[in-house]
Amino acid sequence: MDILCILSSLLILYLIFKIWKHIDSKRDQNCYILDYQCHKPSDDRMLSTQISGEIIRRNKHLRLNEFKFLLKAIVSSGIGEQTYAPCIYFEGREESPTIQDALSEMEEFYIDTIEQLLKRNKLKPKDIDVLVVNVSMLNSTPSLSARIINHYKMREDVKVFNLTAMGCSASVISVDIVKNIFKTYKNKLALVVTSESLSPNWYSGNNRSMILANCLFRSGGCAVLLTNKRCLSPRAMFKLKCLVRTHHGAREDSFNACVQKEDELGRVGIHLDKTLPKAATRAFVDNLKVITPKILPVTVLFRFMLSLLLKKLRRSPSKGSTSNVAQAAPKAGINFKTGIDHFCIHTGGKAVIDAIGYSLDLTEYDLEPARMTLHRFGNTSASSLWYVLGYMEAKKRLKRGDRVFMISFGAGFKCNSCVWEVVRDLSVGECLGNVWNHCIDQYPPKSLLNPFLEKYGWIREEEDADTFKFRT
Amino acid sequence: MPDFSSSVKLKYVKLGYQYLVNHFLSLLLIPIMAIIAVELLRMGPEDILNVWNSLHFDIVQVLCSSFLVIFISTVYFMSKPRTVYLVDYSCYKPPVTCRVPFATFMEHSRLILKDSPKSVEFQMRILERSGLGEETCLPPAIHYIPPTPTMDEARSEAQMVIFTAMDDLFKKTGLLPKDIDILIVNCSLFSPTPSLSAMVINKYKLRSNIKSFNLSGMGCSAGLISVDLARDLLQVHPNSNAVIVSTEIITPNYYKGNERAMLLPNCLFRMGSAAILMSNRRSDRWRAKYKLCHLVRTHRGADDKSFYCVYEQEDREGKIGINLSKDLMAIAGEALKANITTIGPLVLPASEQLLFLLSLIGRKIFNLKWKPYIPDFKLAFEHFCIHAGGRAVIDELQKNLQLSGEHVEASRMTLHRFGNTSSSSLWYELCYIESKGRMRRGDRVWQIAFGSGFKCNSAVWKCNRTIKTPKDGPWSDCIDRYPVFIPEVVKL
Repeated sequence: MDILCILSSLLILYLIFKIWKHIDSKRDQNCYILDYQCHKPSDDRMLSTQISGEIIRRNKHLRLNEFKFLLKAIVSSGIGEQTYAPCIYFEGREESPTIQDALSEMEEFYIDTIEQLLKRNKLKPKDIDVLVVNVSMLNSTPSLSARIINHYKMREDVKVFNLTAMGCSASVISVDIVKNIFKTYKNKLALVVTSESLSPNWYSGNNRSMILANCLFRSGGCAVLLTNKRCLSPRAMFKLKCLVRTHHGAREDSFNACVQKEDELGRVGIHLDKTLPKAATRAFVDNLKVITPKILPVTVLFRFMLSLLLKKLRRSPSKGSTSNVAQAAPKAGINFKTGIDHFCIHTGGKAVIDAIGYSLDLTEYDLEPARMTLHRFGNTSASSLWYVLGYMEAKKRLKRGDRVFMISFGAGFKCNSCVWEVVRDLSVGECLGNVWNHCIDQYPPKSLLNPFLEKYGWIREEEDADTFKFRT
Repeated sequence: MPDFSSSVKLKYVKLGYQYLVNHFLSLLLIPIMAIIAVELLRMGPEDILNVWNSLHFDIVQVLCSSFLVIFISTVYFMSKPRTVYLVDYSCYKPPVTCRVPFATFMEHSRLILKDSPKSVEFQMRILERSGLGEETCLPPAIHYIPPTPTMDEARSEAQMVIFTAMDDLFKKTGLLPKDIDILIVNCSLFSPTPSLSAMVINKYKLRSNIKSFNLSGMGCSAGLISVDLARDLLQVHPNSNAVIVSTEIITPNYYKGNERAMLLPNCLFRMGSAAILMSNRRSDRWRAKYKLCHLVRTHRGADDKSFYCVYEQEDREGKIGINLSKDLMAIAGEALKANITTIGPLVLPASEQLLFLLSLIGRKIFNLKWKPYIPDFKLAFEHFCIHAGGRAVIDELQKNLQLSGEHVEASRMTLHRFGNTSSSSLWYELCYIESKGRMRRGDRVWQIAFGSGFKCNSAVWKCNRTIKTPKDGPWSDCIDRYPVFIPEVVKL
């Protein structure tokens, strides 16, 4: 009797111990953002309208039609006067970049950001356990991740991944890798470095779909510290709630929407197809279908399903009726503000922000961070989401418990999104190292128009392509 | 070996401590069992019978205790980390039309580099001593004089090698494209937008919720890095499978200049790719070929000499190529030593570890003049797959690990037949061992790969079932000719 008692009590104790360990390990699987640092290049790299005009004029292959096209694109781009470009654009060497140019552009970025990030958080490079680097258009040997490890003398057993060619949504993919690693390994500190390389990717031809990429992308980057260490969680800023990735590569038109290829004369550039907005919309809708049930409260979902059902029942007797189908972006029909407080939209361009704002039914207040980031920093590709987040933080909008929704698109065609919860009150106190600190008071400005129209608007009047001469 | 011993000492102490703490409960059981055993021995057989008869086996008690035992064993088994299996893999066999015998290579070299006969001479000497055979292959674009490395050609090479390997994998495993949950593509030197992983998703119409990753720039060890990522992902996602595509696209990276150190990769790198299916499903346990036991990654980037030994740069005329430093062998040796200090304790039998510990104690504490004891890895593994980076790499590793000719045969023959196919070479070597009928159930394989940066990654696989000699595959038509004797210098 006693032996049986002892045996069963031992077994019960073991069971309780196992269950406690299991619940405990769940707490170690959270992915927190400890801190992040966006890159602000030096002021001598600011691209004003004047310099943009000079750079465009330098391209000998462009003719009047291309200038008209570019003017239309740049005027309505939403990009302002203070965005940054790589050094070689200012030195006139954008058509003949060397490997060293590309590497120095990246070095300038990561040395500055990672230094600030580690110093502010009192961490050493040897503390980093996981390093994920994503720079879409640069592929060097040794990889950029190896360069960072060499520069900072990181540990030998650091888990490193170097992602390339995954487009503007790559930083969410990097966070996905870190999230998965955190589920298996305890007590880790991860560094995600995301940027875009512009120096080696200037298109020197005159194919219209390819010169657009020249004018839209700008320099920028971000380094993010993520952790699942319990001792660091009081200092954390955000906690990852969910992450959803959608890949539409299976569809031909989505896959060919954004392709890097050679034009008729063998010059390499990124071809942005006219079907890009449609591909983006499709991917966006599919992504929303998966993430919405995870983030919105059950009552809202229930009401939405009921309304869908009623609409279906009402529509079926009158099949031929023409309902007003939104052309560019369908309206979601569900109020996202019930589950999300802030929206970090990839600053792919004014059209992207407008389309998402329309379909999610967002106000100007919601779209302000994305619009201002596009105006101040341009389209910095994968790192743009972090600049938008920085704006919200600088404007003291982020309170504890708020939820931030990040959405980005990428070539392929991908749509990746994630939801972060603010775990510390970020609306009080100083935000150290925020790139917006020096200019946040000037935002939002009264007008977002850039002086391109007033300076170069006369091009629209020109008719004759042969006798056309560029007036200064 | 400056820091080798001290880092090993610390590692052993740490390991011992970890083992003690992690298995605290099980270690606690030992004294309890000892006490019970002593009690049983004290009581005579009649006392034990009396205790047995006095137990009232109430039906409720029996049910409760058996339920408890079952529940606990379920919890125990569910909390174990998921085993990751390698179900099958397929290697790309290039068409005969892409072959580059020595004569073709030298003719091309003489025509392209007609202004620098010294460089042609250099390439010939490299080729003579390279250990490559006459059947290695280069992509079609490189067969042109001069080569035409456009982006379209690079893409078509990528499509040719990747899609053929994947089609073969689908046929072998019966896998449907829409069942793939994770896709990892690694190609070091070619990275178009959209990525190669997007290209695979497009061709096979994979699902929209697939987790795809495109790794690049990570050198010849990227194949094992992809396996590491797949393993981490498969730990988190139950009942999933992962497809890894390891390749190297040669077309855009053919060096067109005449700088000698940068002509070396032209002589060694050849076309090849491998597609691997990994899974953590219980149902795949019976048909899987291998089980992943350990995977250790070591990154020596912090050391400047290691970092700069494989470096992409422009030569004096602005042509891009990869510069291989002269200390490559020494650096590879050091990286391997660093990797071994981590993997040794995981795989070596207790006897070897004890011997190593004793020799360490003898040398460090008692200052005896013993030679550093190199553990015998032949006791831990039956097969070795050393990345076929070049003849010198294989020679160096054979010396360092004290391996026999038969152990490194797979590597040497892969180098001879296929050349240096970068990250996929490990899979060609594994295929060689299988084709020779040497892979038995329970055999352990050690795959070692090096990469730019400088990285040394190694993976330990355990064979799950005895593998019959494959009827098709890259070695099927020539396995009977192997092993061949590869002379030191092939006179050209």
